[in-house]
Amino acid sequence: MSAREVPPKDEHRVAFDATIARRLWVYLAPHQRWVWISFGLLLFTSVLGLAQPFLMKLALDRYVAPTPEYAGDGSLDGFGWLLVVMFACALGELLGRAIQTYTLTLGGQNALLDLRLAVFRHLQRLSSSFFDRTPIGRLIGRVTTDIESLNEMFASGVVTILGDLVNMLAILGILFWMDWRLTLISLVAAPVLVLTTLWIRGRVRLAYQTMVTKRSAMNAYLHEQSAGMPLVQAFRREDRTRAAFDAINADLCEAQLGTVWWESVLSALTDMLSSVTMALILWYGGGLALKGLGMSELQADLAGAVTLGTLVAFLQYMDRFFGPLNELSLKYTVMQSAMTAAARIFGLLDQTAVTPEPDQPATPGPAAGAIRFEGVTFGYGEGTPVIHDLSFEVAPGERVAFVGATGAGKSTLLKLLTRLYDVDAGRITLDGFDVRELGVKDLRTRIGIVPQDVFLFSGNILENIRLGHPEITEDVARAAARDLHLERITDRLPGGLMEPVRERGSNLSSGERQLIAFARVLAVAPPVLALDEATSNVDSEMEHLLQEAVARVMQGRTSLIIAHRLSTIRDVDRIVVMHKGRLVEEGTHDELMAKRGFFWRLHQLQYAGSEDGGDA
Amino acid sequence: MFDTLRPLWPLILRYRWHYVIGSLCIIASQALKLQIPRFFWGTLGELKQAGDLPAAEARELILWASIWILASALLIAPIRTASRILILGSSRRLSADLLADVFERMLALAPSFYTRNPTGQVMSRAINDREYVRSLGGAVFMYMAETGVLYAITVPLMLLIDWQLALMALAPYPIFLVLARRIALRIQTLSRAAQNALGEISEKVDESLSGQMVIKTLNLEDADLERFRLRSEHYRALNLSVTKWRALLISLMMGLALLSTLLVLGVGGSRVVSGDLDFGEFGVLLTYLAWLAVPTRTLGFVISSLRRGTSAFERLREILDHDLELFHTETGTEHEVRGGSLRVQNLSVTFPALVDEPRLAGSEVQDHVGSERDVPRRVLDDVSFEVPAGTTTAIVGHTGSGKSVLARVLARQLEVDPGAVFIDDQDLTEVPLDVLRAQIGYVPQDAFLFSEPLHDNVALGNPDATEAEVLAALEGAQFAEDLDQLPEGLRTLVGERGVNLSGGQRQRTALARVLLLSPRLLILDDTLSAVDTRTSEAILEHLRPFAAERTTILIAHRLSSVAHADQILVLEEGRVVERGNHEELLALDGRYASTWRLQERSAHDAERAARLEAELADLPAPGADPEATS
Ligand SMILES: Nc1ncnc2c1ncn2[C@@H]1O[C@H](COP(=O)(O)OP(=O)(O)OP(=O)(O)O)[C@@H](O)[C@H]1O
Ligand SMILES: Nc1ncnc2c1ncn2[C@@H]1O[C@H](COP(=O)(O)OP(=O)(O)OP(=O)(O)O)[C@@H](O)[C@H]1O
Ligand SMILES: [Mg+2]
Repeated sequence: MSAREVPPKDEHRVAFDATIARRLWVYLAPHQRWVWISFGLLLFTSVLGLAQPFLMKLALDRYVAPTPEYAGDGSLDGFGWLLVVMFACALGELLGRAIQTYTLTLGGQNALLDLRLAVFRHLQRLSSSFFDRTPIGRLIGRVTTDIESLNEMFASGVVTILGDLVNMLAILGILFWMDWRLTLISLVAAPVLVLTTLWIRGRVRLAYQTMVTKRSAMNAYLHEQSAGMPLVQAFRREDRTRAAFDAINADLCEAQLGTVWWESVLSALTDMLSSVTMALILWYGGGLALKGLGMSELQADLAGAVTLGTLVAFLQYMDRFFGPLNELSLKYTVMQSAMTAAARIFGLLDQTAVTPEPDQPATPGPAAGAIRFEGVTFGYGEGTPVIHDLSFEVAPGERVAFVGATGAGKSTLLKLLTRLYDVDAGRITLDGFDVRELGVKDLRTRIGIVPQDVFLFSGNILENIRLGHPEITEDVARAAARDLHLERITDRLPGGLMEPVRERGSNLSSGERQLIAFARVLAVAPPVLALDEATSNVDSEMEHLLQEAVARVMQGRTSLIIAHRLSTIRDVDRIVVMHKGRLVEEGTHDELMAKRGFFWRLHQLQYAGSEDGGDA
Repeated sequence: MFDTLRPLWPLILRYRWHYVIGSLCIIASQALKLQIPRFFWGTLGELKQAGDLPAAEARELILWASIWILASALLIAPIRTASRILILGSSRRLSADLLADVFERMLALAPSFYTRNPTGQVMSRAINDREYVRSLGGAVFMYMAETGVLYAITVPLMLLIDWQLALMALAPYPIFLVLARRIALRIQTLSRAAQNALGEISEKVDESLSGQMVIKTLNLEDADLERFRLRSEHYRALNLSVTKWRALLISLMMGLALLSTLLVLGVGGSRVVSGDLDFGEFGVLLTYLAWLAVPTRTLGFVISSLRRGTSAFERLREILDHDLELFHTETGTEHEVRGGSLRVQNLSVTFPALVDEPRLAGSEVQDHVGSERDVPRRVLDDVSFEVPAGTTTAIVGHTGSGKSVLARVLARQLEVDPGAVFIDDQDLTEVPLDVLRAQIGYVPQDAFLFSEPLHDNVALGNPDATEAEVLAALEGAQFAEDLDQLPEGLRTLVGERGVNLSGGQRQRTALARVLLLSPRLLILDDTLSAVDTRTSEAILEHLRPFAAERTTILIAHRLSSVAHADQILVLEEGRVVERGNHEELLALDGRYASTWRLQERSAHDAERAARLEAELADLPAPGADPEATS
């Protein structure tokens, strides 16, 4: 039931297409050169295309079925030349089109690259709380599938719609010039189509919106299930998972069938219109041609009739008029899908859950590492806060340990310190500056955190250590690895420090991953170091070595250490004890131990408690 | 190409009636549509011939022809709509079925498939590649049918009208088709590379978003963007090459149509002049050619889409045809797990060279130095031991010594050859997976939670568990206390991978869901590493009676939590170097003893601090009712 949770509110309603188009243009504008070239070529090919029926008319009227003024002549001299001209026109049109398609795609691909990077950059800026509530699968879809829909739009040349429209207008002009009555009569059916299309439009759009929403749901579901599949199997959840999947899949299919329905109707309608028009041309134009039979073009014109050649040319122009119209109806659906996708993308770009940067970041000198929490209260969502009115102070160079039951809020403290989340009340200062006054990057450079959840990037070990620190040369990185006794693990790996790292480090043991993450932070020796259960999966011998190494590297620097294994916090200067988001004790080892009476009572209590537990 | 697509057949056959009727509709509508120029041109021809036809008669002729055209148009519209709905609709259903097949395979693929292959790659196939495959059963099929029908009808008609002229018009086709084929092959290769690149993008986004906290805290944004940019640019370049070849192909086909028309116009035109050919027939011929021009152009599109669809399907087949990697030898005998004794015999595990691993194809972007490791790696070496039913065996050893690999083998998460692991004296690979999984409770080192309510995560293996049972399991994992801290208690959504819980809470949830199942065989891989000493003591305390009735494999770094085990194995570089119970191992004075001493060294401190921590954790929150503790 729950895997198909209501989507979070990044599903903006599709606003006016015009707004979206304008926003898309922002990305296209830097590459508009290509678009204009393509547009120019389009006009060029259109002219060449338009000339062809006219040339055909010439050929027919003069040579093949000569009207009186050309009759009798019988010579075919000009005919060959006419064919050559026609061939040249057509060839030009063809080449022009190929180049036009390419330049347009070039512009489009460049714009999409920019857009993709912009979306990615925006995702990077979004705060962690955004990711707490948004499934990653959905976001992956934004960057891939949705942008692909836009790509489809460029590829199938929806941008040429503009050209098509110009083309259609020109044809209309020619048609009116050739015979306005015939044109008017031929077009009587058009308004019906326009009205119907307008009506269907709304449906198509709705259908696409539903479809894209369902697709996102599918993305999110697939993403999570493929990550958790071994568990699904181990817990024999296949049937339920399959059922949930089938439901989502059926939903998606349903939504897609909706789009197909409207697409089909729309396309058949335009097609019908072109045939109806043909009937009209024949009916009315045939009459005119009957009248003009045997007349020269001029005579026919004067008599309000047409020649056969004119009629044929007329028909061909009409075909060229309906061609793009037909395609327009096809492209319309592609465009609708693209617009819906674009709306989603812009909806994401409009997400404002970004960690706010100060307008004028404070620029403290080199960090000393004094940290103060002043009455900090914080909660992840509404409801009870997980940190209550917490205050403490860490002097520069001090080593402080945070202990407390799991879920007490220790990791949260570090997230607040580096502004992954912002406090609800109170403030946190680093060297006297509120952390919110410092530039976010600056702040995070000053504080090196080894987080509880290790994350390695695919690549290799050395690269993971150097990542993001171009100033660290390979030699420095190797030296750092050696200082941290990393060779104890890398020596066992065939690739050593160059051992490849798979997605999330899945080809390494948990302890190995932790050690690499550790080295990554220690390699730059940050002014303030914070370790969050950094060695919980590491064997004691290694941990012991690490402790000494850290003590060496962090000599005189501030360190905050969270650990459950008490051996890890042996040498700290001070211990802060937390319980359910509050600070309950603080002091050196011995200070805390001195509060004997209190302990003794608690000890008795706990003893009784565990006996109870044993009986149960 | 058609070999590659063969597995698609059964799916297509499922909708054969849709396709058959849809095709019939296409034939009908095309046949009707072809009548229209005949009416039109036939009338015009007659008009030209019979200049002396009585005006009234001629008018009637025109009127009837127009009515016929109109009637056909009205008839065509619903037929055409039906054909599209049938065919395009089936393609959607087909693609849904295909996804269902892929998912079915995913459900069956061995766990190691998922450790080896990035989620992004799997997703990209299921989502993006499927779209291209779908177009094979939809747009491509339709265009092919339309084109085919058009050719099938027009070509004979053209031949009937004037076979010489018609042949001349068709003469350029073979040459062009040969050229088209070569281009199409190129498109297929390039499309595949482009799809691989897209998969790589989706993999990268996945990685960057999953690691967003780390990226933020370590200021890795720029470096990460660079990696993303590299992939995106690579993809863009490939897309452009595909476009280039596609444009070329389409131009080629347009050129073909053009050549035909001009031939007919030139040669036929002269013959009309010389009186060998009727003007009306000439007109029909020209119109037919013009009608063929459109599908000939779309032929370019069809060919390239066919190729792209094929390459996409190849990528999907990487999953569909992927080796399941979980052997199951049918022995015919009934298997069941009763006691749950384990025997491991000369077990060795070797990971193949990374270059040889059967992985889903990615792109060739290599932005990291160093090459793929090309030697296999042995991580477990000739391990043998026995665990009598109902006893506890602990596995300890240095980081990377192979403890987790061993646990995964025992839990059948990692496949080994038959003859190495036995449960109740039956070869592990002979016991049906279902039977086995029902009796194994494995808590992996990294707790994975689904973005579902806490309740559902605990009830993962037994969705019918009552709330009381779930609560009892949580109680056993010492989670109950945390419940009131969660905004909605059991109904709290834990977020993707459990991001809304603390590390220790996640581990305890993973533990609780195994406790709920009460399996015969319990495998706990460093399950309490993120849990504080007091809580972990309480959990172990609770586990003791539970474990006493079960066969238990316990992996830990904290030796104090394994000291009571019936048997302790010390692993070193994949080999069992010491074994025995706590006292025996201490007496042996080897690795175990030295680690024990190391941990003991801080024992004085540790004990003090542990007591301190334990007791402080029991403190009431300031402001809470002090009576509760006194
Ligand atoms: N992203 C989040 N959204 C909502 N609640 C959260 C989130 N992260 C943590 N919490 C809640 O905040 C509380 C404190 O979590 P925190 O991770 O700080 O605990 P901790 O002391 O580090 O625990 P542990 O020792 O288990 O790691 C927990 O009750 C947890 O459920
Ligand atoms: N999929 C894999 N491919 C290649 N090597 C692997 C793979 N999985 C694990 N290894 C290697 O096998 C070795 C043993 O890993 P394992 O996870 O069993 O260690 P561990 O004893 O559990 O260590 P830890 O105490 O850190 O959890 C490690 O050195 C690791 O790099
Ligand atoms: Mg392990």
